[in-house]
Order: sequence, then structure tokens, then C-alpha cells
Amino acid sequence: MDNNVLDVKNINKFFYQPEELHVLKDVSFTVKKGDFVSITGKSGSGKSTLLYLLSTMDTDFEGSIKIAGKEMKGMSNRWLASFRNQHIGFVFQFHYLLPEFSVIRNVMLPALKLAKYSKEEIEHNASELLKLLGIQDQANKRASLLSGGQQQRVAIARALINEPSIVMGDEPTGNLDSYNTAIVFDLFRKLSSERGQTMLIVTHDDDFAEQSDKTIHLADGKVTG
Amino acid sequence: MKFLKDKKLAASVAFTHMHAKIKQTIIATAGVAFGITVFIFMVSFITGSNDYMKNVTFEQSPHLRLYNEAKIAEKTTIDKVYPTSINIVHHLKPKEILLNLKDGKKAVQEIKKDPRVAAVSGSVVNQVFFRFGSSSINGKVNGIEVEDEDKLFNLAKKTVEGSFKDLEVVPNSMVMGVSLAKKLNARKGDRLTVTTEEGENFSVLVVGIFKTGLSNIDQQESYASLATVQRFLNVPASYITDIKMKLYDMEEAPEMSLALQKRYNYLGSDWKKDNAALLDGEVLRNLIVYGVATTILLVAGFGIFNILTMMIYEKMKDIAILKAMGFSDTDVRWIFLTQALVIGLIGAITGLLFGFILSYAISKVPYQSDVMITLDHLPVSFNPMYYIAGFSFGILTTIFSGLIPSRKAAGVDPISILRG
Repeated sequence: MDNNVLDVKNINKFFYQPEELHVLKDVSFTVKKGDFVSITGKSGSGKSTLLYLLSTMDTDFEGSIKIAGKEMKGMSNRWLASFRNQHIGFVFQFHYLLPEFSVIRNVMLPALKLAKYSKEEIEHNASELLKLLGIQDQANKRASLLSGGQQQRVAIARALINEPSIVMGDEPTGNLDSYNTAIVFDLFRKLSSERGQTMLIVTHDDDFAEQSDKTIHLADGKVTG
Repeated sequence: MKFLKDKKLAASVAFTHMHAKIKQTIIATAGVAFGITVFIFMVSFITGSNDYMKNVTFEQSPHLRLYNEAKIAEKTTIDKVYPTSINIVHHLKPKEILLNLKDGKKAVQEIKKDPRVAAVSGSVVNQVFFRFGSSSINGKVNGIEVEDEDKLFNLAKKTVEGSFKDLEVVPNSMVMGVSLAKKLNARKGDRLTVTTEEGENFSVLVVGIFKTGLSNIDQQESYASLATVQRFLNVPASYITDIKMKLYDMEEAPEMSLALQKRYNYLGSDWKKDNAALLDGEVLRNLIVYGVATTILLVAGFGIFNILTMMIYEKMKDIAILKAMGFSDTDVRWIFLTQALVIGLIGAITGLLFGFILSYAISKVPYQSDVMITLDHLPVSFNPMYYIAGFSFGILTTIFSGLIPSRKAAGVDPISILRG
């Protein structure tokens, strides 16, 4: 087995509503373990669509996606959910925390679902992560009371809690000011280089893309470089 | 283990949701509780009165009754003359027979030995006219074995004036229904005249007046000793027309009735046949109670359905995030089903509690009735079955009303929401 965390072969994706549209055309690429990869492209180029296919939440495609050596095509929803829980961490454009839960519980939830460690260990890991991201003092606040930048950092902590094979981001800095963008971006870099965490980030921020190990550029549903 | 942990996690998410929406949750719970309270209260009160009426009626009616009736002769005289030909006789008159039960006394002795029989009494029932002064009223006189009949119907306790036991000791004495006595304007100690169907007159002494609470009995029945009535009718001491009995298990009556009819060749009837109208009425009343209670619970169920559906619309984003995190469809379904279950459970238990308190309170309300003389408080039934039924029904309604929204939540497509 090679050390490719992600192995994408000949993906084709169609939208049928409002009319038939060939969104992704024969997309193939690989991502190595520890790589910091950006997916770029104009809006409508299919980059988000690609990310959601890779996230295993969208199962309607042709071709093959292998994550950590496992084929995703044709697996059941239940299996994919548990795979996602263990191997994929997600950071969205709009932080998307659960507003009624405390910060630390938001971070803990995926680990509680995985149930690999005891609750105490999970809580410890979560507060370690919050410390790493510099928001440990907010741990017991309700998530909805935090600022946008803080919330996004909580979301990153949540994405990391299960030590996933791959962290995916859908324009994670798209909704932040330049100050917070810099903080979040530095965090991604740091996690990638220090912890060897694989990152796959959809962005249209050129600075962001330039500093990644690898850029996958999409145009009209095709990989162009 | 994993299964349990998943359910626990789903429950903890559910509790957080409910905590955040505590007002709606309380209102939904109150809806269920109210439905069950009304159900328990109505069922307890209505079945309480039903049971009371039934008891009064059944206490005064035997479980099983054997009697005789005038029959049409099966063979006519003409058949005897021309036995080989087909003879048709139109409009036959009833055969003239004695209405007594053949070997009735012996039958009573035999039935007494049956271990299923709690009490049995043989009696003579006859239509008579009561005359007191100028008033003359049609009624029935029952010639009875005083002790046996008392065992059957507790008549001594229902005697409001005089003494029932005096029937045994005072010759030519009679105890009569309270309404009958009122119509005749007769009191204890009065002498009145009884005229039989054959036109013979006898003078009797009223030694007591009874009140059963059943107007058709109180208005026309009277009791005298068996020997007295047999003398009125000018029949031998073996002559009895009715055998009445009570059984330990009244459900056995129809079956036993058939067996006894066959054995002694009498006609028979049981409490189910005699009280068909009352029993039918009970079924109808129960239908109404259950209908109303079901409607109330359905409304409560719609409340839960509404609140959960609204909750799910509000929580679409959360559901999508949970799914992105790796919560399965089943986990998401459980989150919302748990909410329905908790609302149902708490609602059902509070409902039972309040239902009980209300029923208990109403059972302490004093109530006097001219008809139901043995009643001093409102009759209420505390049958645990109704509590079990109310609880199960409450839980079932909430599960059903939670099921549809939960399925909807489980089916949410996370991408369509996360992409915005």
C-alpha cells in the first residue's frame, strides 16, 4: 500500500436539476499523507462539488474515490457515516457549531460518537486542542456567544478531535476578516507541518493557495494543474 | 455496547435540544398529560357509575333462572286419529298446563349440592291484585323460602321498614316494594287483600317494606312465604314455578343454564340474556369514553408532531453538521425520537398522577340519590387496567407522532444545507 491518503480516479459528476450538467469531467489526482493541498477555481468550476464528493456525503458519482486505502464507491450510508466520523474532519465556510452546546462539547461530540476513548480522556483531548488553538478560556461558554474567528477555531478543533486521516475545508476563511484569516491559515499550516495532518482546502484566496504544498486547479469541471 | 453509547449520545443531544426549547417542551408535555388526565378521569368516573348500576341490577337479578312457560302442543288430537296422514291445524291455542317445574323441589336440592352454585332458591311467582281500601293495584307476589331468597338477594338488608325475617314467623304476612306500598298507601302493620287470577281473596299483613333501588321491582314486587302463596293458589307444597341461583363465577351461567335445561327439561335464562339492554348500553358508553379520550390524545399527539416538526426545521443546519461529523441517519432519528419519548413518558406519568388525584377527589364528593339508595359518594372505579391502558396509549401516540418527524430528520440531505 502506498502512502496516498486520497486517491481519486476518473470522477464524473452530473447535475440533473434544473437541467443536465456535466459538473466534473474525468477528475483524477492523489494526495499524500501530510500534504497541504488547496483546491482552487472560479465559482461554478465544481470545486465545492468535488469536496462534497470527497467528504463521502455525496454518493452520486461515477469513478473511484479511495480514502486511506478504502474505496468509497458503493458503500452504505451507515458505513460512510462511521467512516467519516473516524477519518474525515470538516471545517465549513460558516463555522456551523451547534449553538446550544458549550464550546468544549462541540469539540467533543465527534469523539463521543466514535467512542474510542472514555469521556474523561475525550474531554482532556478537547481542552488540549482548544489550548493549541488558543481558545481554552472559552471552553465552557455557549458556542453561539463566541466571535466569528473564535467559532472557526472551535470548528477546527472539532475537525481534529478524532485525529482524522484528512481534514477538509470548504472556504474555511471565506467568512473571516483578514486578521482572523491569517490566524486560521497559520493554524492550518502549523497543523500540517507539525502534526503531519493532511489538509484539503477549497479556497479562492490566492495567497492561501500559493502557500500550499500542492494546488489542484479546476476549470469547467476539469483539473488543469 | 456501541449501540448503547450511541443511544446515550443521541439522548444527550436530545436533552440539550429540549433544554434550549424548554417552553415548547413543557407545553407539549402538558398536552399529553392533559389528554391522559381526562382519559383516566372519564373512564374511572363512567365505569364507576356503570359498575355501580350493574351491581345494583345484578344483585337483584339471579345469575341463572329456570322456569316454565305455556307451550303450543306439538301434536293435535287429529294426529292421534289419523296418524299416517299429514294434518294441518291453523292457529292452535296454548295447551292448558300447570306452570310449575316438575320435581322442582328435588331439582333445588340437587342444584344446592353443585360446587359452582353459591345460592339457590325455589319460588312461586304469581300475578295478583293488591287491594287496600278502595285502591286496587296489579303486582306480583313471590312465594319464597325466606332464608334461601335472602341469601340470593340480601333482602333483609334492603328492608327499610319492619323485618324481612318476620315472613317466616308471622302467618299470612307479606313484604312489599316501597313504591308499591306508596301507591297503595299501605304501611307496616296494615292488612290488605290479595286477589289471585282465579278470583280468590286472601287477607295478608304487611310486615315490611323493602327498597332495592330498581323501580320496576319496587313498584310491583312483593314477597310472602312459599307456603302462603301455595295456599293462595291452592297447589301442593311441591309446586314451584321458578328456580333462581347465584354462582361463584357468573361467567359460567350461560353454559350451566344450557346443561340444567337439558337435564330437567325446564326453560332457562341467564343474567346476560336478562340484562342484554344494560350490557349493550355499557358497551356503547365505553365506546363513547374511549372515543373522546382517543380524540384528546390524538390532539396531544398532533401537538408533539407540530413541535418536533418545527424543531427539525429550525435544526436543519445542526442535523447536517451532525451528519458531516459522522452521526448516522439512525443516530439523528434517535435524537428526535428520544425527545418524543421523553415528552410522552413524562406527560403520561403526570397525566396518570393527575387523573388519579382528580378521580380520588371526585370519589369523595357526597352524593345522595333517591334511586341509588346504597350510594353516599360518587361511584368511581380505580381499576389499574385503565391506568395501564392510559399509559400505553399515551406512549404509543407520542411514538407515532414522533416517528414521522424523526424520519424526516434522518432523511435530511446534509449537502443541500451545508452548501447553502
